[in-house]
Amino acid sequence: MSHSAKPVFSCTDVHVWIAEKEVVKGVDLAVSAGEIHAIMGPNGSGKSTLANALMGHPAYTLEGTVELSGEDVTSLSPDEKARRGMFLAFQYPVAVPGVTVASFLRAAVAAVRGTEVPVREFRKELLARMEDLEMDPAFAGRYLNDGFSGGEKKRLEILQLLMLKPRFALLDETDSGLDIDALKVVAEGINAAASQDVGMVLVTHYQRLLNYVRPHVVHVFMDGRIVRTGGPELALELEERGYDWLETPATAGGA
Amino acid sequence: MASRAATGATLPMLALEHVAELSSVAGEDRALLALRNQARELLTPLLLPDRARHLWRYTDPTRFLPDTDPTDLTPTDVGPTWRLEEPLSVAGLLAGGALRVVEMDAQARKAGVAVEDLHHAKAAEMLGQAVPPGHGFVEDINTAAWRGGVLVRVPAGVALEHPIRLRVVAGPLTLPRVLVVAGEGSSFEIIEGHVGGDRSVGKVLGVTEILVARDANVRYGLVQRWDPGIVGHLTARARVAAGARFHLSLASFGGSTFKADVGAYLAGEGAEVETAGVAMGGDQQHFDHHTEHIHEARKTSSNLDFKVALTHAARSTYTGMIRIARQAGGSEAYQENRNLLLSHDARAESIPELEILTDDVRCSHGATVAPIDPEQLFYLQSRGLANLQAMRVIVYGFLDQTLARLPQTTRERIEALVAARLHTE
Ligand SMILES: Nc1ncnc2c1ncn2[C@@H]1O[C@H](COP(=O)(O)OP(=O)(O)OP(=O)(O)O)[C@@H](O)[C@H]1O
Ligand SMILES: [Mg+2]
Repeated sequence: MSHSAKPVFSCTDVHVWIAEKEVVKGVDLAVSAGEIHAIMGPNGSGKSTLANALMGHPAYTLEGTVELSGEDVTSLSPDEKARRGMFLAFQYPVAVPGVTVASFLRAAVAAVRGTEVPVREFRKELLARMEDLEMDPAFAGRYLNDGFSGGEKKRLEILQLLMLKPRFALLDETDSGLDIDALKVVAEGINAAASQDVGMVLVTHYQRLLNYVRPHVVHVFMDGRIVRTGGPELALELEERGYDWLETPATAGGA
Repeated sequence: MASRAATGATLPMLALEHVAELSSVAGEDRALLALRNQARELLTPLLLPDRARHLWRYTDPTRFLPDTDPTDLTPTDVGPTWRLEEPLSVAGLLAGGALRVVEMDAQARKAGVAVEDLHHAKAAEMLGQAVPPGHGFVEDINTAAWRGGVLVRVPAGVALEHPIRLRVVAGPLTLPRVLVVAGEGSSFEIIEGHVGGDRSVGKVLGVTEILVARDANVRYGLVQRWDPGIVGHLTARARVAAGARFHLSLASFGGSTFKADVGAYLAGEGAEVETAGVAMGGDQQHFDHHTEHIHEARKTSSNLDFKVALTHAARSTYTGMIRIARQAGGSEAYQENRNLLLSHDARAESIPELEILTDDVRCSHGATVAPIDPEQLFYLQSRGLANLQAMRVIVYGFLDQTLARLPQTTRERIEALVAARLHTE
């Protein structure tokens, strides 16, 4: 699908178990710099499980290989992956009371960039990115996700994406629960990141987002597998026909 | 740990042979000696509290019995030097059974602030007002045998710009006594810091009383950061008069076994008490904190927020008493204790105790004991924070709202200690 460039992210034959249950049953993906992939699939099919396990969630058992720019990172901890340029925007970001957005982001930026950014410079950058996302600067002083509305949490995930500047980002339903203005703002953030050569995978249920963000590749995810891969037109087809017509994994098509 | 506690066969021993000699060598008046003897009487014979009684259910009382006679006069150690880092009204050092006034600034001197050796301060009539003989056997041992004491008296109407700091240094056996007398309408911050132990074994049985007159505003901090060998019991009680405010900050870090009994009597109409505390334990540390907010008068209000974070195999028990007397209608009292467990082996218990004798009150309490949330950890780690750093951030967050309640200097001090503690884990 992509050009000759080495993918910023790839995974091969990934299986994920939660306790004894196999939820992800063999997934291959390869994402190049600046490329946007969309993953669409029914509720409970295992999309978030895949995303969390790829990031290294300790509750999941992952088999297969995960690579970032050709480096095998399968057994690395989440923070090691983050420091190598991987990012996950959570479907359900957790609250951390008592920790302000600004102090948390400063620590995260220092960890990921491997160097402390001077406070003044950091504040300037943070406020600029918040302005891009039309966020009230007061959010910098609020506790992380604590009492945030659904839409505010999603904006904060994108703010983190823009501040941490990963090479590869997995966005798990970052468009869910957004009003139309917020959706546009978030889409602009995603496009901005893509134009900076970030490779991206968007897990989404809605064609709506894809009106603003044009994916290069669309995957259909069902029952723990990618059952079909196509271009943007596949998303439109799903919008029209649902998932029923794709029922059997045997119909899975490659690109 | 092997139990070295006395078994049923051998009765615990307590020798207090030289009370009169201790008192006369220290130059005390007869009233003070009488108070010592009164406490000593209560200890003869020595009846240890019933372990079934709530206050002693979690900690063996024999751990606090002195191994030698505390009234036996031993040569006085030279106290360590103390480098002052911030502007203070008064700095007083209690070490080796003696008081040294290290600092007294011009404002405090001009205002008539008194910092005196309690042995000859002629303050017997004020001693025992907040912790009277019979309060408990540990406090009685202190009252009978304390050595090294300080009276801090701030005259009526005086508002001190800088805080008062007291530093109490633990030796092999230390029985310090502190009496703070806040005059009507006075306002000041006072921090009592407990340090020392030199990594050796030692015992500390300390008692502090704070008398807060009408309309005064006292911010008192009790900061315990002993070396690991110390077994200690600290009692602090305030008596708060009408219209006065008392803020108690509690911070517990050190020692191997630490039992604290802190609180206040809201004795006059409209008195307000706020307690904010943090405790951080690790290794095999055993903490047992008890707080009491005792409402004796109408329209009094108290609030308590106590947070405990534990690592390794540390243990913590918290019992929080709110008592509202029949005549204390129109009062309100709130209490919250939260415990964060950072390891599988850490254990915490939290027991609220309410004795409310009137219907005309507003009162609530809450307690939680929870391990660190793995989803929070994963979230922070996914943003590049290594496991340990992520834990630190979560602990900071956990403590933050409580630390935010502390008065300025106390807060800075305690935050620095929290940070130091987190970075040694
Ligand atoms: N911690 C867990 N314990 C038990 N089952 C789990 C756990 N996490 C996920 N599952 C199960 O795994 C399956 C896949 O869940 P997942 O959240 O990955 O689906 P999804 O495709 O992201 O769905 P949605 O579109 O609703 O977000 C579901 O059946 C879910 O109940
Ligand atoms: Mg999901």
